[in-house]
Amino acid sequence: MPGSRFPAIAFVALILFAHTAVASPDAPVAIDVGVVVASNEGTTIDPALSSIQNKLKSMFNYTSYRMVDRLKRTLSVGETGDFGLPGNRSMRATPVPAKGNKVRLAVQIMEGDRNLLSTTLGLTRGGMVLVGGPSHQKGVLILIISAE
Amino acid sequence: MECGETRQMIQDHIDGLLPPRVSEKFREHLGGCAPCASEEAELRGVGDLLRLWSAVRVEEREPQLSALWARVGAGIEERRKPWLVPLLRRWFWLPAAAAVAVLTLLFYPLNGSMAPFHPKSFDVTVESLESDTATVALVDKGEELPRVIWIIENGNT
Repeated sequence: MPGSRFPAIAFVALILFAHTAVASPDAPVAIDVGVVVASNEGTTIDPALSSIQNKLKSMFNYTSYRMVDRLKRTLSVGETGDFGLPGNRSMRATPVPAKGNKVRLAVQIMEGDRNLLSTTLGLTRGGMVLVGGPSHQKGVLILIISAE
Repeated sequence: MECGETRQMIQDHIDGLLPPRVSEKFREHLGGCAPCASEEAELRGVGDLLRLWSAVRVEEREPQLSALWARVGAGIEERRKPWLVPLLRRWFWLPAAAAVAVLTLLFYPLNGSMAPFHPKSFDVTVESLESDTATVALVDKGEELPRVIWIIENGNT
């Protein structure tokens, strides 16, 4: 009975494609921050980084990439989210108005009261950018920031 | 009891169908009549042979009998649950869909902390970049690799 299989196919298609809906320019922005400690101690590659490990190896000379935290926040345009980082550091991100399928983020990284970085980034929805450099333990912090 | 009457009762006696009093008289007659006793012994032997033969035949046919019994058992079971079979046929896709949903959620966790990153693009525009306390570098190694903003503190990195 081929007809009776239609609900099954529709159900599966709904699940697979529900999350790919196109967002409007003022839609909330889902910010995903992977906090990675990169070092030359060992050769650990975190399983969550398996999909981008080749790119990390192409960019950096570290042998170990360990994800110590994963922070996710959905923010409306103009709303600021605080992301706690290791070593008395923090990141503040604020989506700002953007056109089309773009996301603009005002990002500030602080260490205590010191401003380590202030930047405004324009990404395609689902795009990714890396921010790294601050030392942590025997390595450095690398933030994998993506916005959807 | 006479011989003619006794011989008519031989089979019933072997089968244990005679009333106790008749059976007693029957045995009394056999005790004093060699021909009747001989015929009773012959018939009893034939019965034993037939039972033995039947047992052998049943043993030879055991696989077929087992298969027959399995079919009978299945038929009884199906009769016992007539409503379940059509229901299963109608909703057979539901367990399959549930399994696909579970697998989808496993491989595409919407909020899982260990979900792999799947960037759609590395196209990033850096509109402004400044730091009060560190040197900041923008590293761009082409469209295939992510852009990196590198913070250099105290010349350490």
